[in-house]
Amino acid sequence: MRILTKTSLYYLLVSFVVFLMGGIAYYTIMQGEIYDEVDDQLFTDKENILAFIRRTNELPHVTSGVTETIVVKEVTNNNPVLEALTDTLIYSSYDEEYIPYRRLTFTTYQKGKAYQYTIMKSVMDFDDLFESTVFAMGWTFLMLLVGLGAVNYSINKYTWRNFYDTLDKIKRYSLSQYGPLQLKPSETTEFQELNTVLQNMTNKIHSDYLNLKEFTENVSHEIQTPLAIVNSKLELFMQSGNLTSTEAKLLEDMHNSVSRLARLNKSLILLTRIENREFKENEDIPMHELLAEQTEQLQEIIEMHGLTVAQTIDQPVQVHMNRGLAEVLVSNLLINAIQHNQPDGVITITLDQEKLCLKNTGEELHEPGSNLFGRFVSGSKRSDSLGIGLALVSRICSVYNMRPNYSFVDGMHVLCIYFNQIPFKK
Amino acid sequence: MRILIIEDEQELNNSIVTYLQQEGYSCDAAYDFKEASLKVADLPYTCVLVDLNLPHGNGLDIVRLLKENTPETGIIIISAKNALDDRITGLEIGADDYLTKPFHLSELNARVKSVIRRRNFNGHKSVKAGALEVFPDSAEAQVNGQKLTLTKKEYDLLLYFLSNRNRVLTKDSIAEHLWGDHVEALDSLDFVYTHIKNLRRKIMEAGGEDYIQTVYGLGYKFAAE
Repeated sequence: MRILTKTSLYYLLVSFVVFLMGGIAYYTIMQGEIYDEVDDQLFTDKENILAFIRRTNELPHVTSGVTETIVVKEVTNNNPVLEALTDTLIYSSYDEEYIPYRRLTFTTYQKGKAYQYTIMKSVMDFDDLFESTVFAMGWTFLMLLVGLGAVNYSINKYTWRNFYDTLDKIKRYSLSQYGPLQLKPSETTEFQELNTVLQNMTNKIHSDYLNLKEFTENVSHEIQTPLAIVNSKLELFMQSGNLTSTEAKLLEDMHNSVSRLARLNKSLILLTRIENREFKENEDIPMHELLAEQTEQLQEIIEMHGLTVAQTIDQPVQVHMNRGLAEVLVSNLLINAIQHNQPDGVITITLDQEKLCLKNTGEELHEPGSNLFGRFVSGSKRSDSLGIGLALVSRICSVYNMRPNYSFVDGMHVLCIYFNQIPFKK
Repeated sequence: MRILIIEDEQELNNSIVTYLQQEGYSCDAAYDFKEASLKVADLPYTCVLVDLNLPHGNGLDIVRLLKENTPETGIIIISAKNALDDRITGLEIGADDYLTKPFHLSELNARVKSVIRRRNFNGHKSVKAGALEVFPDSAEAQVNGQKLTLTKKEYDLLLYFLSNRNRVLTKDSIAEHLWGDHVEALDSLDFVYTHIKNLRRKIMEAGGEDYIQTVYGLGYKFAAE
């Protein structure tokens, strides 16, 4: 729920309660006020009548109407009503309904006789009062609602616009394709503050990222030369002859480790270069030819593993990418299928316009397939596997908006690369 | 035959010089761009090894210089950058080969020999060792004049051995020579053994000696004059 909707709902809830209570209070106060007023008039009438009698010593003429009625009657009762204020309803033929009246009854004496006066005054119909209160309150409430809507709309349009703009930019923010965040300046203090904080934060993150990246790059590049030197010295050492078998074994172990390190480093450099998008020259690569080429190159190794390769390539498939990277992609997929196979296993390759799939027999993995694309994750316990091949595959895929997918179906590992997925655009 | 090694890393330069000197080449070393361009202008070299990242200049300019002045010189680029574009530019402007650091000295030696052979400096069309004779032009091998039937890998292996005669070759360097970048992922060391076994058998069946010796703990050595 948007924050504006939320606050509006709270406002409305509170306004509703306030209006309800206000209405009740208004109604009650008005009611009291009306009674007071009518009673005052009744007592004034009484005073006037008594004063008239005192002054003239005769009974006044009485009037009778709808709004006010004064009735006089002689009473013989021994205990007359001295003074009583009551409510009553009288039918009005004009309104065709009962109308509430306030009635003051009092007794006065004239010439020894007791006369009972009844003064009645119509008070306002409280149903009407109730109705008009609700009506007035309802209208006010409705107007408040319209006002609130208008205010919300304009706030949403003008004040929050910058916030949503910022939000959208952060959503699309990516470290690797860094351009400084271009946030629209806002006149709202909070949003301006948010923008400043975000700007500083991303700048900091980006400089940290650059430092780290530079460090990694430098390390891998600077390591090349010492590695080459160590390698060459070891080789010279080996040629020196007169080595005992222990020395020779030690030398070989060293040499193997250095070679391994060198290859690992080479792969890491390649990985970094792909991440840096240094391979800019793209062309349409005939995938079907590339597959055939790479399979041919690995044919010997495939045979030595006793593997059978079945290819289903229906039509030529062109994929727009860098040639070198395409080769790395295909050969790593093939090698992966060879490496994690079983003796006398099978590799099935299918290629169509949508995807390239390699299926191979092999033991089921003990970990989730998505981990497979990380660095240094190796399914088997083989020491000579660097576990970087599929990381390369995944990296290349992300550069070209392809999607790698792993599954295990019917005892076969299935690795599919879906070509050129349309990038998510808003 | 004179070889110039242009490499700013002194220790690496020394190693290369030592290895190639043992092969009987006269070697000069240059450690930066200026020194290299002077030496290149001064003497005609049979082969020049050029590192691309040099102090005070780019190795590619040396390659251009060589192509202009002494086009008969063989050129091998050695670079830490495994950049495809560099490789292509290097080969386009006339380098004969490209090697990425770190490399095996035996591999470098084989490449140097191959470049020199292709440029046919010593006038030989074949490489001889004992009863063996290899013809790189037609990719064929003979023992006592009798043709050997070799697979491509076996032929490559034989030529690699012949280029590094009486040298210890590690299984690792052989594997990398035969399978290149694919070596890391595969049980290539076992394959090396299989190939060597087959090659040995074929040479001996054709009447040759067992030239390939196993050097315990290290690898193999091709011993023949």
